[in-house]
Amino acid sequence: MNDSTHLNELNQRVSAAKAEVEGRGETFYPGASRIHLASFPPRERWNDWVELDSKSWPEKVEKRYMLVPTTCFNCESACGLLAYVDRETLQVRKFEGNPEHPGSRGRNCAKGPATLNQITDPDRILYPLKRSGRRGEGKWEQISWDEALDEIAGRIRTAMQEERHEEVVYHVGRPGEDGYTERMLAAWGVDGHNSHTNVCSSGARSGYHWWMGMDRPSPDYSNAKVILLVSSHLETGHYFNPHAQRIMEGKKNGAKLIVFDTRLSNTATHADHWLSPYPGSEALIFLAIANWMIREGKYDREFVRRWWNWQEYMEVVNDEPGASFENFEEHLREIYSEFTFEYASTESGIDATTLLEVAKVVSTAGTRFATHNWRSAGSGNLGGWQVARTLTLLNALLGALATEGGTFPNSWNKFTPRPPRLPHQHPKGWNEVTWPREYPLSLMEMSFLMPHLMKDQDAHLDVYFTRVYNPVWTNPDGFSWIEMLSDEERIGLHVAMTPTWNETAYFADYILPMGHASERHDLTSYEQYNGQWIAFRQPVLRAARERLDEEITDTRQVNPGEVWEENEFWIDLTWRIDPDGSLGIREFFESKKVPGEKMTIDEYYSWIFDNSVPGLPEASAAEGLTPLEYMRRYGAFEISNKVGRVHEQSVPDNELEDVRVDEMGRVYSRAPIPPSPKAPGGTKIDDDEDGRRRVGIRVDGEILKGWPTPTGKLEFWSRTLHDWGWPELAIPTYIKSHIHPENLEDDQVPLITTFRVPVQIHTRSANSKWLDEIAHTNPLWIHPIDADRMGISKTGDLVRVETELGYFVLKSWITEGIRPGVAACSHHMGRWKPEGHKGQRLGISTVALNQEGSEWSLTPRKGGEPFASSDPDTMRIWWTDLGVHQNLTHAVHPDPISGMHCWHQAVRICPAKEGDQAGDVSVDTGKSQAAYEKWLAMTRSADRYSPDGTRRPYWMLRPVRPERDAYRLPLETEPAEV
Amino acid sequence: MPTTQVPTATREPLWAKVIDHTRCIGCHACTTACKSENEVPLSVTRTYVKYVDTGIFPQARRSFQVTRCNQCDDAPCVEACPTTAMFRRADGIVDFDKSICVGCKACIAACPYDAIFINPEDKSAEKCNFCAHRLDVGLEPACVIVCPTEAILVGDMNDPLSAVSGIINREAVAVRRPEKETRPKLYYKGADQATLDPLAARRPDGGIFMWSEQGDVKHQVPSGHSGPSNSSAAALLSYDIPHRAPWDWRVSLYTFTKSISSGAYLVPLLLGLSGMITWTNPVWTLLGPIVAMIFLMFTGALLVWDLDHPERFWMVLTRPQWRSWLVRGGFIITAYGGILALHLGAVIGGRPEIPQSLAWLGGPLAAMTAIYTAYLFAQAKARDLWQSPLLPPHLLVQALLAGSASLILLNPIELGVGAIWTLQASLAVHLMLALGEVSMPHPTAHAALAARNMTKGAYAAFYWGGIVLTASALLLMSANVTIGALAGLVGLFLHEHAYVQAGQSVPLA
Repeated sequence: MNDSTHLNELNQRVSAAKAEVEGRGETFYPGASRIHLASFPPRERWNDWVELDSKSWPEKVEKRYMLVPTTCFNCESACGLLAYVDRETLQVRKFEGNPEHPGSRGRNCAKGPATLNQITDPDRILYPLKRSGRRGEGKWEQISWDEALDEIAGRIRTAMQEERHEEVVYHVGRPGEDGYTERMLAAWGVDGHNSHTNVCSSGARSGYHWWMGMDRPSPDYSNAKVILLVSSHLETGHYFNPHAQRIMEGKKNGAKLIVFDTRLSNTATHADHWLSPYPGSEALIFLAIANWMIREGKYDREFVRRWWNWQEYMEVVNDEPGASFENFEEHLREIYSEFTFEYASTESGIDATTLLEVAKVVSTAGTRFATHNWRSAGSGNLGGWQVARTLTLLNALLGALATEGGTFPNSWNKFTPRPPRLPHQHPKGWNEVTWPREYPLSLMEMSFLMPHLMKDQDAHLDVYFTRVYNPVWTNPDGFSWIEMLSDEERIGLHVAMTPTWNETAYFADYILPMGHASERHDLTSYEQYNGQWIAFRQPVLRAARERLDEEITDTRQVNPGEVWEENEFWIDLTWRIDPDGSLGIREFFESKKVPGEKMTIDEYYSWIFDNSVPGLPEASAAEGLTPLEYMRRYGAFEISNKVGRVHEQSVPDNELEDVRVDEMGRVYSRAPIPPSPKAPGGTKIDDDEDGRRRVGIRVDGEILKGWPTPTGKLEFWSRTLHDWGWPELAIPTYIKSHIHPENLEDDQVPLITTFRVPVQIHTRSANSKWLDEIAHTNPLWIHPIDADRMGISKTGDLVRVETELGYFVLKSWITEGIRPGVAACSHHMGRWKPEGHKGQRLGISTVALNQEGSEWSLTPRKGGEPFASSDPDTMRIWWTDLGVHQNLTHAVHPDPISGMHCWHQAVRICPAKEGDQAGDVSVDTGKSQAAYEKWLAMTRSADRYSPDGTRRPYWMLRPVRPERDAYRLPLETEPAEV
Repeated sequence: MPTTQVPTATREPLWAKVIDHTRCIGCHACTTACKSENEVPLSVTRTYVKYVDTGIFPQARRSFQVTRCNQCDDAPCVEACPTTAMFRRADGIVDFDKSICVGCKACIAACPYDAIFINPEDKSAEKCNFCAHRLDVGLEPACVIVCPTEAILVGDMNDPLSAVSGIINREAVAVRRPEKETRPKLYYKGADQATLDPLAARRPDGGIFMWSEQGDVKHQVPSGHSGPSNSSAAALLSYDIPHRAPWDWRVSLYTFTKSISSGAYLVPLLLGLSGMITWTNPVWTLLGPIVAMIFLMFTGALLVWDLDHPERFWMVLTRPQWRSWLVRGGFIITAYGGILALHLGAVIGGRPEIPQSLAWLGGPLAAMTAIYTAYLFAQAKARDLWQSPLLPPHLLVQALLAGSASLILLNPIELGVGAIWTLQASLAVHLMLALGEVSMPHPTAHAALAARNMTKGAYAAFYWGGIVLTASALLLMSANVTIGALAGLVGLFLHEHAYVQAGQSVPLA
């Protein structure tokens, strides 16, 4: 058979082109090119798809694949992936996108295809390891899972039996799943959830939370008229690829793009209006825009009148109960009048004309104003939470919340299904290390203060899990983390659950290898557009072999080595903690079908898909599949599209029973909570005195669902902030950053430390050769004017950057892409392993780590270089510079309200000194205590400021919410004094 | 009767792509998707995204260029390939067949876009082929499906209704280096001249880009402009990959050994024709041809050694692609070698009168052996320095120089004064032509930079060493012929190396 005959014959069998596919009655996936070519093979053929081998080309060699969907784990976006499992070798040949995924729609960023590198990483951890030397010494022995499980479970069991529940902490970086682990911790009765959020997004979340009672934005970019982004959402956003698609879609539909980014990012490049403000001045610019809009009457009066809690504000703050809306408007004009463009211009360095121009663009958006702040300014500055709060002020003025083209709250565009055997109990205790009373309003756990809080409280953790979390590297003040982790008096047992080596795992007692994106089960849903979807991560080889009728009962059977997954691990561990059920924990992990047996993963997810995902059972039945089979085959399901204005929806009659409406229009009802397929969560609004539940809010005579805030309205003014000691910050306003020029010495400049590059993901991607080849170092960005002033003659010259704790040394990148007077250094890079340690070679420097008292230093000994491994590509590594680990030199900067670590640093920059080499780090952890105390002094502790003797406002969001009693402060504390 | 029908695609498709830089966010998804789809090793790439930062704060921006094969309608790589390993399909895709690639790198030398590389695993040339293996079964290329912002489109230029045709025909698009007359089928929408022109942006100091190293690889061609760039606007290269030149010192040396081989036959022949030596002079009968033969064998050995698939060298002769000057040169050299063998065979076999008749063929073949490299270099369409109409005569002069100098070194007595005159004349002409590179302006920025690299940059030592030795040779000839000849030869080699390497030293992407 010659080539063309072969091709014709092949195309008759398998062509993915439109006419052929539709002729066979199969699904045609149109691609970007909008021609007869498909973007993906028809889904009817995913079980046995024939492709031509690219390497043998032009010889037409057929390869047969099973296409198995899963979910990417290289950032929070949870984009769909399709694993091409070779039917001959039963190995993954490549990952493409999953066209059935509503968020990512078949597309990926660079990190999606690079998942292949991670699963074939020659240095990956394949077996459970136990330390054989001193902690941190780098000596490991391979052990069995049973051994690890038994010891860990035994210690947890003892802690529980001895009522030391608070000594068990699970510290998670990227969760990559919804609800599974929180359910488990609730079942354990342990207030041990600890997240990374306060080094990530708490600032912005806090700002959203105070307005809406929901803590994340979900901008409807595609339908926007004006898009305003704080930071680089196009190429490094939190929901990078799904959002980039839609931002560009909106832009192509005519939306104007406004970007706030001090650094020239790829996003800034695409902006119609790029503003590079002095860091920390962002909120002030928004206030100036708001002021102008208010004065010019360019806001949606009806929306403000109906949905802001202006009555409460007028009553409490102005002592004008029953004030008219016009009174409020007058007042509004007054309170924002100080925020002029001139003032904003002075603080931001952007001229007033430009600000006015941008204000005019914003005011044209109407309700199609899509805005987003995630990290960036919200995470950089003291008071950064006001960036999201003032940004939302603009949305709230325009009525552009939960509108087409506007910004939705996350919860309305997300769907976390209810799991089986949902525990009803709440932890009885309160973990003071994660939720210290000094930070009663922190949005999430004060995770990054752990070394300091543990010392202050003389606390001890018996079992400490880190999972996809690398605090030694990621958190500020990493040497203090090493000191804490090395101290067996503080941390009894440290279990690092990770797919790859990391700086924290070096200081663990156990390293438990967990699967990458294609080696584990998880369920996710994220707010990426005006709709709701779920996506199913699965071990693709397990799904593939099950398709071949093999019975797989444990994910380890298909994973490389003995790599496992958390889902099954937690079930097994829980059974070992409570083997006889006497602790009352085991039951939550017991099969419903076969009592007395462990719940299997299939049963867990089957139950969810059968019972908690509206529309999925019907969609599956239409294909003759069970819901679990459907999800294993297609990987994702869209529950709804175009959610709309939930707050404007009427409360259904069946929820209105013995209704009471209070003076603020809040509607309470005795009707029981109707069954919901969604997992419970969110804010917890108090019942009325008679135990009625709040079901809505009366607006203009109608009973509407409103917002999950204490008032049921959008909280322009927060009674909580007011009552808990922060009356001056209860409305959206401006807080001068810790790196405000007033707070800097003459020779200091602010350093932006947070920016991401599009091809790396924190410390999880150094094991990806394709990504490392593109980006592997992190020079210091400085403007030519500054370089000249600092005596740095050319790009590449070594500089020393001095922080509060010490200094680091790196190369310089002199660029017009940054505001003069500001420096920036990306993170991701500067990964290391101590000399003599086992670990990963790709993307990781070998360093000498020295400690003399509180003086620490890190000196690179070996950078990137070729090495022999099972992958011939590692001999082709051509880059040597792996950057610098700057976070080690950062002191902790907890925002006294949001609890967010305020990342920006005040630094001194000078040419490197004699003996300095790139990558050097020097730190005195003695100084970190002083910095911690300086910031602690800014707090208003619950001890002194709590209005009701509790540790934290009960209504606020909180993972694994403890029992209400646990919120009470111990009696010895002083009464509130506000 | 007039028709209301809109024309539709009736012919075989003509595949083209549009890269829409009004949508590209520089995320590199195409880069890794391609690595994955085509199993491309580290250190080489079929596609990547170049970044150039332009402007002055706060009016600054970053421009991207998705950089890859242009699927030229007149593809220089296809023309240069000796074995049809690079070939144009009827649907316009420039595809490749690794099983017949000899690894000569002529395609790489020819490609004005630096889109081709030798795969370190299989040692064969490869590049983007629009994922032909996917197109042929009805699938879009890997980079198209992965792109988050739908910035890469593929389509049929013969189908007026395809999106790609719409953009190419109706919108402001650009191609890279149209002056190379390759008629690319990769169109850029919204691209910036600062990225399209490989010399528009300045190379950053210090060996780094914004988040990567510039690299220090074998035979690297540093990216960006080393001096003041072509653009008067501030433009700084902020991301690029390490690029490599195709031909190393072996090719420099091959031009030199070939000159000796050619000249060692030509010089005695010319002396004989002019009556300055007799046809029985051993320089004509034996010495010249033997030197020619030995250096021809060296030349052949160097050529084979330079192949990444030396074991396939015979394919150049057995599956010739006749437009390739490597093929033509291969046959010229082979024929020349044949004549030399006959010449020597006849002399050794006692028929010394035959060589004189063979010279009717041998003369032109020796000259062509010297000259064809000019055409081979000219076929390296990317290399402006080599696109010189003076190169054929210059190579001929070099052959006379090398031939006369070699023979002088071997046999000064029987050669007579003619050889010295030849050497002196060729040294003088060579010196004049070589100095032309400094004294004459070059027509393109590329050629100018190459000349600058040769005369002031990385190859200045070789170039000026060559010039000084050549000039010294001229002066020394009257004092000591041997030393003069030796200086001339070394000077020539130095010049060749400078010329061959500098010609490849200009970034193309």
